[in-house]
Amino acid sequence: MKTYAGLVLLFFIFVQPLFAAKVKVDSSEFGVEGGNACVDCHFKTSAGLAEQWKKSKHGQLGMNCLDCHQAKTEDSDAIEHEGFTIATIVSPKDCGRCHVTEYQQNSSSVHANAVSLISKRLPAMAQNLGGKAIVAAGCDQCHGSVVKVKGDGTLDTTTWPNSGIGRVNPDGSKGSCSSCHGRHEFSKAQARDPSSCMRCHSGPDSPDRAIFEASKHGMAFAANKDNMNLDADSWVAGKDYTSGPTCVTCHMGAAGKLPPNHDVGLRNAWNLNTVVSERQQLVIFEDGDKMDLPESQEAPDPGTETTKIDGSLGTVKMVVPSERRRKAMSVVCLECHGKNFVSSFMEQFDSVVKLYNAKFGKPAQAIMEALYDKGLLTPTPFDEAIEFTYWELWHDEGTRARHGAAMASPNHTWWEGMYLVARNFYSKFLPQVKEIAGKEAEALIQKHVKSDTENHGWLDQPNKLSPILGYGNSKPGGE
Amino acid sequence: MRWPAFLNLKTIGLLLSGGIAGAVFILVLIEFDHVTSTEEFCTSCHSMTIVAEPYRQSSHYNPTSGVRASCGDCHVSRGVISATWDHVLGTKDLFAQLFGADYDNPVVNLVHLPDAAFHARDWFKKNQSDTCQRCHVLEAIKGTRADTMKVHQEEAEGKSCIDCHINLVHRKVPGKQVFKRDAWNRMVEEEFGLEEGMAEKIRLGQAEPPKL
Repeated sequence: MKTYAGLVLLFFIFVQPLFAAKVKVDSSEFGVEGGNACVDCHFKTSAGLAEQWKKSKHGQLGMNCLDCHQAKTEDSDAIEHEGFTIATIVSPKDCGRCHVTEYQQNSSSVHANAVSLISKRLPAMAQNLGGKAIVAAGCDQCHGSVVKVKGDGTLDTTTWPNSGIGRVNPDGSKGSCSSCHGRHEFSKAQARDPSSCMRCHSGPDSPDRAIFEASKHGMAFAANKDNMNLDADSWVAGKDYTSGPTCVTCHMGAAGKLPPNHDVGLRNAWNLNTVVSERQQLVIFEDGDKMDLPESQEAPDPGTETTKIDGSLGTVKMVVPSERRRKAMSVVCLECHGKNFVSSFMEQFDSVVKLYNAKFGKPAQAIMEALYDKGLLTPTPFDEAIEFTYWELWHDEGTRARHGAAMASPNHTWWEGMYLVARNFYSKFLPQVKEIAGKEAEALIQKHVKSDTENHGWLDQPNKLSPILGYGNSKPGGE
Repeated sequence: MRWPAFLNLKTIGLLLSGGIAGAVFILVLIEFDHVTSTEEFCTSCHSMTIVAEPYRQSSHYNPTSGVRASCGDCHVSRGVISATWDHVLGTKDLFAQLFGADYDNPVVNLVHLPDAAFHARDWFKKNQSDTCQRCHVLEAIKGTRADTMKVHQEEAEGKSCIDCHINLVHRKVPGKQVFKRDAWNRMVEEEFGLEEGMAEKIRLGQAEPPKL
């Protein structure tokens, strides 16, 4: 009965239209008069973008510049341009005039909320370590800026140009479609290609590029890219292509009976970018907004109010447990893998996350909290060396290990991931703790580390031989 | 042949001196128009030094060609009659400077700048950017980008310079259609560290601008 209810729930949440939502807009609704005049000039002044537009589906259907760039005089970012009232920024709300479903799905996604999600982390990074210039050219280029229109009508250069995925636009909408759908060709093939994700999903905190490329999935994609049907109208895994998955396949794409969805985080059962990973339930609000909530926190009842990511209050419509999200992801896997293979893979993945949590994430977190509580560290982030050690342990290395396991790259799970976590923990973090806490250190380490004999018991066996380091090979018990 | 009776020596003398006086008057007018069109003359009012600052950073002040446009080159019509008329009309600015708001104050100057810009743009539109053509000849525009010439030859029909080119010289002001007084006022307040609402009060003369 429970399974049945779950399936019904799954149906309502994930099974909407089966194929990518076709835009049903009559051709009388676009091709705004006057828009063609733009083209005449822009083929001369900016031939590259004009050519891209001409090649695009938009161009072929007769949509012109004004269809997307038109603005009302009262819009805060409206400008007068050669006799037309236009806006430079085409926001998701603008795209959503035709692409209704994608706009709605994306608006409540982690992508669209990428600014709010790091609002607490950003100040330490931006102000202490970086500076305003880095925020504009670094952080905000992926996460998105809060675009500011100045009183003279220009866009504040500290916030624009920007195509960060969580950009807060002058019209209030969140996101930037062109973050993945590069303007002005808006090619399906390009958005489905992993390279469009990799502008941001590479590097320490989101090492997905390297992980995907090193995985069997990445190998399959690279070897069979020509068979991937990347520019097909219908792009259902297992039906329209079978060679391998891309980022989009698993995180957004249609597969079997699972419809595509522009909410990229919908199928993620874990949060893998935190000190300690937690399974996350999905809170869906009455207005369509969504929010991840760790399963250690009680699910709010439908009808009650709770705080959203951006700090405002929302009425809860329903809460989807993480297991349902896992099931949705597994539906994708099942297009190419057997049931047992999928559930066993997920178990291997979950075990890595749990091991990381128990062995390194939780102890490191507890020790750091104790150091702060005892006043041995100042609360100011990054003014002490151990804060970098700790940050890199979970944010860089720990994330890489967990993502490595999630996406099946053995090298990133171990050598580039958990091995570095372990090396950091034992050879840098704990020695720094001893240095900072002095006499109190041993008690701290005993309580949070050594008491876990299963994971850290080996520390209390100093006389074990070490053939791996070449010592004791000739002794009894050695190799 | 006989000279007409009224052409006696006296009349001829009067005609001659009248002609000379007229010529001198025209010359004086030309000189007057010239002097009152220079940057030096215009910026002898403090308020004008404020709008001259961005001008001195602009390509109209420092073009690679070495041709410098002074205030009057753009803002005073061609032809001595029109130029003189412009100066007659311009005396209202002098009255405003002497008896109007304190335009010498940068805050007051900035809150009123959009209206001045709209007025100037309307003037350029009305005379079809005639003064631009003192220097710029449409057929001669080549530009540094490959297609600048093409755009000016193929896309400029029925348009005058001002239709496309605004915010070239002075501080940027949005187009009149999309101008938002509130946003402009916020910008002024941010720039001068004023309380919210002060810019509008200063503009309406209901509050004293800060001494700067």
